[in-house]
Amino acid sequence: MIQVRFVLRELRYGGAQALTFILCVALSIATLTALNSFRSDVHRSLLNDAQKLHGGDVIIHSHYPISEPLEQAVRDIQSRAGADLARVYGFNSVVRPEVADGSLFVNIMAVAPGYPLYGSVDLASGRPFGEVLQAGAVVVAPEVLSRLSLRIGDRLRIGTAVLTIVDTIDYDPSRPVSIFSLGPRIFTSTGDLEQMGLLGVGSRSHYEILLRLPEPEQARKIAETLSRVATAGQERVETATTARSQVKRFFDNMLFFLSFISIFTLLLSGIGMQSSLSALLRQKQYTIAIGKTVGATYRFLLLHYLALTMLLGLIGAIAGVLAGLIIKSTFPLLFGEIIPAELMLGVTIGDLVEGMLIGLLVVVLFSSLPLYRIAAIRPVALLRLDLTGNVGKPATYLLAALVVVFLALLVVRQLEDVQTGLVFMLGCLGFIAIIFLLTSLVLRLLRALPVGNLAMRQAFRSLFRPGNATRSIIVTLASALSVLLTIFLLEFNLVASFITSYPKDAPNLFSLDIQRGQQEAFFAAVGKEAELFPVVRGRLLSINGEAIDYERENQRRSDSLAREFNLTYRDTLLDDEIIVRGERLFEASRPASDVVEVSVLDTIAEIGDIDLGDRLVFSIQGLPMTAEVTSIRSRTKSKLYPFFYFVFAEEVLAAAPHTFFAALHLERDAIDETITRIVTALPNVSTLNVADTVVRLGELIDRLARVITFFSLFSIVAGCLILIGSVLATRLERIRDCAYYKIVGGTTRFVLSITVYENLLLGMTSSILAAAVAIVSSWLICSAWFNIAFRLHGGALVIMALTTCAAVVGIGLISSLSIVRQKPVTFLYRQNG
Amino acid sequence: MTAAILVSSRLSKTYQIGGRQLPVLSDISLTVSRGEFVVITGNSGSGKTTLLSVLSGLDRPSSGTIRLADRDITELSEDELAPLRNELIGFVFQAFHLIPSLNALENVMFPAELKKDPAAGDKATRLLERVGLSMRRQHMVSELSGGEKQRVAICRALINDPPLVFADEPTGNLDSTNSREIMSLLLELQRERDATLVLATHSREIARQADREVRLADGRLVSGEAS
Ligand SMILES: Nc1ncnc2c1ncn2[C@@H]1O[C@H](COP(=O)(O)OP(=O)(O)OP(=O)(O)O)[C@@H](O)[C@H]1O
Ligand SMILES: [Mg+2]
Repeated sequence: MIQVRFVLRELRYGGAQALTFILCVALSIATLTALNSFRSDVHRSLLNDAQKLHGGDVIIHSHYPISEPLEQAVRDIQSRAGADLARVYGFNSVVRPEVADGSLFVNIMAVAPGYPLYGSVDLASGRPFGEVLQAGAVVVAPEVLSRLSLRIGDRLRIGTAVLTIVDTIDYDPSRPVSIFSLGPRIFTSTGDLEQMGLLGVGSRSHYEILLRLPEPEQARKIAETLSRVATAGQERVETATTARSQVKRFFDNMLFFLSFISIFTLLLSGIGMQSSLSALLRQKQYTIAIGKTVGATYRFLLLHYLALTMLLGLIGAIAGVLAGLIIKSTFPLLFGEIIPAELMLGVTIGDLVEGMLIGLLVVVLFSSLPLYRIAAIRPVALLRLDLTGNVGKPATYLLAALVVVFLALLVVRQLEDVQTGLVFMLGCLGFIAIIFLLTSLVLRLLRALPVGNLAMRQAFRSLFRPGNATRSIIVTLASALSVLLTIFLLEFNLVASFITSYPKDAPNLFSLDIQRGQQEAFFAAVGKEAELFPVVRGRLLSINGEAIDYERENQRRSDSLAREFNLTYRDTLLDDEIIVRGERLFEASRPASDVVEVSVLDTIAEIGDIDLGDRLVFSIQGLPMTAEVTSIRSRTKSKLYPFFYFVFAEEVLAAAPHTFFAALHLERDAIDETITRIVTALPNVSTLNVADTVVRLGELIDRLARVITFFSLFSIVAGCLILIGSVLATRLERIRDCAYYKIVGGTTRFVLSITVYENLLLGMTSSILAAAVAIVSSWLICSAWFNIAFRLHGGALVIMALTTCAAVVGIGLISSLSIVRQKPVTFLYRQNG
Repeated sequence: MTAAILVSSRLSKTYQIGGRQLPVLSDISLTVSRGEFVVITGNSGSGKTTLLSVLSGLDRPSSGTIRLADRDITELSEDELAPLRNELIGFVFQAFHLIPSLNALENVMFPAELKKDPAAGDKATRLLERVGLSMRRQHMVSELSGGEKQRVAICRALINDPPLVFADEPTGNLDSTNSREIMSLLLELQRERDATLVLATHSREIARQADREVRLADGRLVSGEAS
């Protein structure tokens, strides 16, 4: 049926185009394979085993001791369903060695025997966790030993207790990656809680009950039963599948973003496939036209060129899968501390098959238009020497619609969320539409431009030559570049506002949980007086009578209204605060009533759509309190200064149980010493070295930016492939023009300068468009999402523009050199050969 | 009519096909004087096109030399040939070979613009008027008929007033009325400008109008060698 010889023969003269096509296929499949296998690693090793991550089937979480009704309900379930139970208490504190100097901010987890219910905490000694962790003993993350220069057997002061380090943690299922945690982990036994004297005094204490059910499928039902008796807004009952975790959220976000980039790359390489295949088929127009004249049917031609395309696609797919494996193997290096290398599990057959299938689908989709064009080539073209086949508009639109639908499905699949997927898809289409419109506008302007220089004028003509992919090149290059540039500008601005521009006098030490009566001792320990901010823990229950939807809040990518807030009281604005709505913090004279006044920070007001006069109901220690919004504040300085979402008048909260928070600025080399002094005098006070944290944050941002840039580079490669494809697509015309220029006396220099001008125009237009779009979008993201000041990085813009122009001109010149060198006679007398 | 503008001596051209040598031109010595109209005739495949392209420097001979306006062009590089082509030579082809992205006027202007002639536009307009195409000035190449295209091509060949014009079957793609018109136009212009015309053709009618006929058979000169 299919004549293999025909297919192979047709490959003979289309080498460069075929290669570009194969590279495009390979590129898209490589990115997909690498990313999908990374995704399944993350899922299999970190996220899928939600029971291990959260430690049970049902998780009860509170910042206060679990209420009696809930305790009673838990006891019922234990006896009725035969569930296993483990109690866990968590808090942050600063610990110090019993004898030596030094101190360390850590996360302490006090666990009762039986923990963990799922999986196991692996210890360096290999002994079972339950046997090792007895009262009086602690098990610590290796970092604790190295940072405090301690050894197994040494003793640690934690709060008011002194405990012996008996082992170190190899793997902690509740904390598969530690990069996001402020302090290393220490496990203690619940038996020592009282002696430590830290539980409950600290604002950050967690009280948890974990349940393991004989029938884990019951988790949902049981969680619902327990929820009914739980104190709303204070106690959270979740199942392993619904519980949120910072790690999961981080990776969800990261995978979301990487998927976005991979789909973008897929789209670009799809365009590359289409243009290189068009180029290949254009070269075959003569064959096709002659074939038709001598009686080849459309079916015959289509079948054979389809076979040819699939052959190339298959080669590309295999190359892509191999490349994907190679890319995957660089991930440990790329991701560094974000993901421990041992969690990278390698590629499964499933990943490979999936990558191949999606890739081949992409091939079919993006090849359909060029293949369909075969039908439009009429034998009469031979007589007119004009071979551009025109496809009817409806077919083009139909195929474009198919591409969009396919991409939408892919997006939804990759992002694992229909609504976000569709929104994202629309966003992308909008983004590309904007770039497309801008490109058309610029091209129209360019076209109308009067040009004096002859070579320049020819370059303009060449840009607008029929069949030239000028617009698609600019659109793809500009989109790819703008994504890359946006990422760069975002990183630059994030680093600038959080790290570089971290003001010299900004606080570099935060102390939490200073108790009433400890103020003087605290000032003595730090050696100076400082402002102390009162902190009252509370939750938001409703806004204007509408209860906070805890489920929905927990899904939010931004800050959640469901979490416990630090409320404060004071009667004046902070130095870096201004009032944006309302006249003053609180109304001057107000009739006494049950409703108190509250001032809200603009960022949280935006999240909750809160306005002046709105009624907010808070829960403080389980007691409801209704407040009316009397002002909305905004902040003028970086996030590193202390801030409070909700501020009340002193008389409202002064009676509620509260602690104090201090933000201090100290000389850098005095920080460690001061922390040790504070913890010695006040063991319950947690002190965080902010300067240190900021450095770690900077490293994390840098890592993430590197990961994202790495993936974005693939889209740049796709852009280059499109450029090459387009030069190849117009190769015949270029050879012809070159011959014509030469017979009337054009020098090589003249011909080359046309190429340079032409590509320079392409490069400049793309980079200017990209810069404009990137500036606008990164400014939007900075001001609307991150809420940070936006600054331009002129150097980066210039470098981007220069590299782009150089690359585009380079590619154009290299692919034109062979054309320019030919003697004109080769074209003039052999064009139809 | 004495000074020679084009002198070739012992030209030969051999194509390599596969491993085989295919001699197409052998031992051709030919002298063309200034202002002369020479036709090259011969059967199809006898080597007319090859001879024209070698003589005009579009292709390189395998051996022998070519002198054009007292310069040996045999060994010149493409870039050394470019200004000669621009100023000394005009070409007219059977397949027209106009630049499709330019309109008629721009096609004609192009060689003059290359040498930065400020009068390029005026000269081109006058030439187009002369060949009766002023109305078609702004037309794109694809909007012209075969005869019109060839007239544009002739204008382009002549805009820089070259002393030497090569034409390879300039009427091969045209009907007999058009052929006659194009030929008389070409000859008129050639005489006006006192240019030399070297033209390859099958047509006896055209050959009769020439000052001299050179016949090729199997790549050899069989008549008209003397000058
Ligand atoms: N590039 C080439 N490679 C090999 N052989 C060639 C090449 N170009 C031409 N020939 C051969 O050289 C010979 C002369 O060709 P040429 O085109 O000069 O003939 P011609 O006299 O112009 O014929 P026609 O009147 O049909 O145009 C032919 O036999 C042809 O096959
Ligand atoms: Mg010929």
